Amino acid sequence: MPGFLVAYVHGVEALNRFVGRCAMYLLFVLAGVLLWSAFTKAFFRPALWTQEMAQFTMVGYFVLGGAYSLILGANVRMDLLYSRWSVRKRAAVDCVTVFALIGFLVVLLWGGIDSTLYAFEVGERSRTVWRPYMAPVKIVICVGVFLMLLQSIAFLIRDIAILRGREI
Amino acid sequence: MSYEAIALLMFAGMMVMLLTGARVFSGIGFIAVVAALLLWGDGGSNIAFTSTIKLMNWYPMLTLPMFVWMGYVMSEARLADDLYKMFHVWFGPVPGGLAIGTILLMVLVSAMNGLSVAGLAIGATIALPELLKRGYDKRMVTGIIQGGSSLGILVPPSVVLVLYAMIARQPVGHLWLAGIFPGLLMAGLFLLYVVVRCGLNPKLGPPLPPEEVAAITWAERLRLLQAGILPLVIFASMMGPFLLGYVSLVESSVVGATIATLVALVKGRLNKQVFENCMVNTLGVSCMFMWILLAALAFGAVFDGLGAVKAIEAFFLNDLGMTRWQIMLMMMLSFLILGIFLDDTAMLVIVAPLYIPLVRALDFDLIWFGVLYTITCQVAYITPPFGYNLFLMRAMAPNEVSLGDIYRSIIPIVAIMVLTLGIIMAFPQIALWLPQQVYGR
Repeated sequence: MPGFLVAYVHGVEALNRFVGRCAMYLLFVLAGVLLWSAFTKAFFRPALWTQEMAQFTMVGYFVLGGAYSLILGANVRMDLLYSRWSVRKRAAVDCVTVFALIGFLVVLLWGGIDSTLYAFEVGERSRTVWRPYMAPVKIVICVGVFLMLLQSIAFLIRDIAILRGREI
Repeated sequence: MSYEAIALLMFAGMMVMLLTGARVFSGIGFIAVVAALLLWGDGGSNIAFTSTIKLMNWYPMLTLPMFVWMGYVMSEARLADDLYKMFHVWFGPVPGGLAIGTILLMVLVSAMNGLSVAGLAIGATIALPELLKRGYDKRMVTGIIQGGSSLGILVPPSVVLVLYAMIARQPVGHLWLAGIFPGLLMAGLFLLYVVVRCGLNPKLGPPLPPEEVAAITWAERLRLLQAGILPLVIFASMMGPFLLGYVSLVESSVVGATIATLVALVKGRLNKQVFENCMVNTLGVSCMFMWILLAALAFGAVFDGLGAVKAIEAFFLNDLGMTRWQIMLMMMLSFLILGIFLDDTAMLVIVAPLYIPLVRALDFDLIWFGVLYTITCQVAYITPPFGYNLFLMRAMAPNEVSLGDIYRSIIPIVAIMVLTLGIIMAFPQIALWLPQQVYGR
């Protein structure tokens, strides 16, 4: 494979590994926010911001961790046929089906960017007592989906390399 | 093209995507967005993102990473070792006693986490080698561990019921409470099965030899009873404040996860490797579920938009002239057959937009149906070719247990599950009594 494609694959995977490993620790942020919520509810006045903050954290967790989970191979496949195929055959089929992943992510990103621009234009706020701005979490979603998109293209390059007989 | 034809085409497209071995969420999501774009043009482009926001706003979803984390901490840090020893010592002397102890162990593990993986890991790595060493029939015990571990999704806390709640728009608390008695009923039937089989043929489960029993001091026995405190504390600290209304469901899951983590820390079992495994696996499993749900929500939204369910309902009720119970029976049958061939997440995604509105339209209780659904998922977990538990069992069990043994071992277990399913269909109160008492519906 051309050098720049190999560099792309390594670069994207290193980036996603890093982002994903950072996102992994959001689990503790999530737990912290929710524990604080339980604590204030039990002893003081319930905190207003905890529920939404926890929801935003959860989105960050699975969206920013999404690309890393793809690298880990954590997303289930129906492997009735898949598990019986050779590495080459899997790569060949994946070369086609990865476009489903790409297509889905592109539409997701499209809707995400639309919605983020709207959030900026009108200064969108959540309709709750805390009234947080909605733009930041939407940006997080767009960034995460974009990283997943980069990762799916890296998968495509890897599969083509397998088909050409030189694994990256 | 008629809406029914579009709906059919969507399902067919999804099945093809799944068969290619593409990641499940990408297959479902792709069909959803393509259908949305074709049907509604530019206006359909928002459907995937809207699903993300919908998923975000669904508060009980936050329990998912907590329960996954808890399950991994428990199995990776081997918190259940002492628990197993306790049952070993106390039940060992009766025929089949260790198998009985294993089932009880599975019930306790199920009460502490929401998936079946932790129970299976604990059963296959701690209980199974010991049972085989003691000359227990390998097919009987392999089946019991698989069946018992699948209780994890029926006994609260249950992740599968949280997912169902999301799609059926039902309160999680009701569903969890509804799962308790069916779970205990199924565990009871497993116990009965072991007792009867070992009673008829003691060779299947030889009791501990008397000299070994005599060697265990009473002080040791009482010390081991302490191990039983842990699950009670975790279960009580999770369910108690939640049922009393002090904390929300989500907060209770965090309390449970925190306690499990603290116990692992205090016991000195949370070393770097265990911590790393728990972190990475929790992220992986949580992402898997969240992305499948996201895609399923998008798929469901398109499906709702088509209004195809009304047509299907009319088809069954008017055209075929079936009664609602006949339709229910047919749904459960097709569910079981699907469950044998598909895995549980794929099943929820495929079946949910079709069956849940139909169940609602037929005026059945969706809480009750959730329990039936979960039992079917249990069957799906342990039946080939897509049983997660089967593969995990193969990966974790000692080598003398062959894949053929594992396949044959589940036959009586599946029979017991189907029996439980039948009992709960005939007597919905087994599931519904407890939530009615607590919430006074």
